[in-house]
This record gives sequence, C-alpha cells and structure tokens, in this order.
Amino acid sequence: MLKKYPFYTVSLIVLAIVQQFVVSKLVIFGATPDILAVFIAFTSVMLGQRTGTNYGFAAGLFLGFLSGNIGLSALVGTVEGFLAGYYHVPEESYATTVKKRRMFYFASATALVAGNLLFALLINPMAVPLYFRIPSLLVIGTLSSMVLTVLMYQLVLKKLQKD
Amino acid sequence: MLSFFRFLARHTAYLFLLLYCSISVLLMQLQRKETLEAIRSRGLSVNASVAEQMSAVSDLFSLKQYNEHLLLQNARLFSTVVHQGQAIRDSRNLNAMVAKDSAHAYNRFIVARVVDRRFSHTDNTIIINAGWRRGVEKDMAVLTPDGLVGRVTKVTENYAKVMPVINKSFKVSVVSDSSSTYGVLSWNGGNETLAHMENVPASSRLKAGEHLATSDHSTFAVRGIPVGKIVRVSGNKLFSDIDVRLYIDYSSLTYVLVSPEKASPEKLEIMYNEEVKPKIPQKPFGR
Repeated sequence: MLKKYPFYTVSLIVLAIVQQFVVSKLVIFGATPDILAVFIAFTSVMLGQRTGTNYGFAAGLFLGFLSGNIGLSALVGTVEGFLAGYYHVPEESYATTVKKRRMFYFASATALVAGNLLFALLINPMAVPLYFRIPSLLVIGTLSSMVLTVLMYQLVLKKLQKD
Repeated sequence: MLSFFRFLARHTAYLFLLLYCSISVLLMQLQRKETLEAIRSRGLSVNASVAEQMSAVSDLFSLKQYNEHLLLQNARLFSTVVHQGQAIRDSRNLNAMVAKDSAHAYNRFIVARVVDRRFSHTDNTIIINAGWRRGVEKDMAVLTPDGLVGRVTKVTENYAKVMPVINKSFKVSVVSDSSSTYGVLSWNGGNETLAHMENVPASSRLKAGEHLATSDHSTFAVRGIPVGKIVRVSGNKLFSDIDVRLYIDYSSLTYVLVSPEKASPEKLEIMYNEEVKPKIPQKPFGR
C-alpha cells in the first residue's frame, strides 16, 4: 500500500504539468477538460477521503503555482478530493469491478461538478456574466472531462484498479 | 478528552478539509502580498519557459503546414500584384485614350470596359460593362479614338452586347475623305483587320490610301468616326472591289466609348416608313 504513494504523487505532478501545458489548450467555449480532477477523484476512490483531500490540496497547489491561481487551484483540488472521497472503495472490500468503475465515475462527476462550480463562482476567465458562465463551465467543462474520465479509465486506470 | 481525540481521529478528513480550505482562502486573500506575488511570478516564468519550449517543439511539426500557408499567401500576393499591374496598364491605356481624344467631346461619351469577347469566323461579339443604368441604348455607336468598333445590339442593366465591324451582319455607311465617295462597309469573314467597301461604282475616283469615316447616311453612327484606310481598289464593270484596313485592333481592345448620339429618329422614320404623315402645326380655330 505504501508503495503506491510515490506513484500517485509522481502521477499527480505529471498530470498537473500535462493539464497546464497540453489539456488547457483544448478550450471549448471557455471551458477546458480537467484531467487532474479526474485523477484526484481516482486517488480519493482508491486511497480514501483523507488521502484524497491531501493529494487534492497538493496537486491544486502545484497546478496553481504553474497557472498563477495558487489559492483557487488549491481550494478546488481540496474540495474535489474531499467530495470524491465519499465514493471510496476500501481495498479490503470485495467490491466487483463494475461497482468500482461506477464509484469512480460518480466520484469523478461529483468532483468535476464541484470544481467547475467553484471555479465559475470565483474566477471569470471568459469575462461573461455569472448566469452564463456557471451553466457554460458546468455543462461543457464537466461533459468534456467526463469523456476524458471514460477514456482514462478504459485505457489506464482500470489496470491500476486491478493491481 | 479521550472522546474528543477519538472524534478528531474519526473526522480527520473534515479537519484536513477545513485546514486546506482556510489555507487556500488565505492564499487567495494574500495574492497581492509580495512574497506570494514573487512565488506566482516564479511560477508564471516557469510556465512561460516550458510553454515556449513546447511551442518550439510543436513549431517543428507544423513547419510543413506553415510553409504551405506561406506559399498560399505568396500566391495571393502574386495574384494581387498581377491584377494591380493589369489595372495600372488599363489606366495608362485609358489616359492615353483620353489624351488622344481631344477632338472628340470625351465627356459626352460613356466609357466602358470590354469584359468579354467571342471571336469566330462568322459571329463576333463583344460585351462591355455599361448598360441602360449608365445610359447605353440599343443602336448606339461604340468607338475608340482610333475608330469605329461596332454598334450596340442588346442592352441589360449593367452590360451591353456590341456587334463589332468584324461581324458578317454588320454594315455601316462610310465616306472617303478625299474623293467623298460613299459606300457601305462590311466584313466577309477571315482576316479581322480587313473589311470591304461595297456599292461603290467603278466610275468613282476612289484611290488606295484614302481614309474612311462614317457618313451621314448611317442609321446609328454620327458622321466622322474614323473607320479604316483603303488598301486596295480593283474594279469590274459595274462596282469597285475595295479592301479596307480597319483602324481598330480587336485583339487588344480594352476600353471603348459609347456614343450617346444616334441618328435622328425622324430621319429613320422617313427613310424606312413610306406612309409618314407630316406633322404640320395647325392654326388654332377662332380668334
């Protein structure tokens, strides 16, 4: 179990860099997919709410250092990790793969909705009114990230979950 | 006390959440502070340098596309240069035409550009970019300062169809300058610079080298428009066979003038209608 922590730490740092320099360029009506939130949710589901919250805060802090919004990114990461932790599947449980997958999808969706909502409320990247900004970021940001969630799970995270 | 620690241990996640949220909010509030500003600046410089490196790498992959874009842009610019060069040449021609046309009242003419031409052995036509909106009417004469080009046969809003001299259906009454011999100029096909003068009696004093211009007998052109020069006169018993070299070079015709002056309608009426009733003003009855 302890061996997993360095892996998750390195993964979160790498994904924060990828998020900042690659994924953030995919702007769809002002919203961008959030690959880091997906992995924070995965971490919370796998390692628990407390660890997920810690990782969320650290990853958000690092992403904020790169993007310039240290406080906001840290807050968003923390909330995402905490909320996704409610879907934690303990390692000793005998949950089926289907259940694990479902929990991960729920965790991702919850984290993404909360993260995008916070982001829309506290920052105005599109310089548009709140009544347009919130639905736009919530819908487009969450949907595009959920597509990434499914892709990431099917390609990579499924194998990690089995290990 | 023990139960308090148990409570804390049970709800560490909430405590962490509270702690991290507080730190985050504090960081948001202190964003303007110097230390945090310095950290943010450092982060942004790292961000910028990495982005620059990544951009340089991606530039390598996009070089082909960039080259294609440059080629297209080059082609567009070249096209513009060619068109502008053509426009300058056209403008020069027009200016030369205006300067040359001092004898004519240029302002009265409608200037038009040849936009299309159909040349064949039998049916040649020219399209000009002036229609009834600019005052062009059917049967107006089309000319350049060099000479007669043809006559307008069809007019639309912005264009007019011109039957040139080198059309088998075209005929115009002409008169020579020295001997004042009248005849009808027509074109029989073939060489586009050579026309023929018909209906000239063999007894006429017409000689090669004489210049021809439109005459008063014309049904559409005003008199005095140069047409061509006689290059050969050969005769039979009744009529002379006369070759005329036209002044207009149709291969390089770009701008033309449309003469708004037409033959008098009254003259045409009396020429073509046998039963013309004279309109004599009557004296009013009574005192």
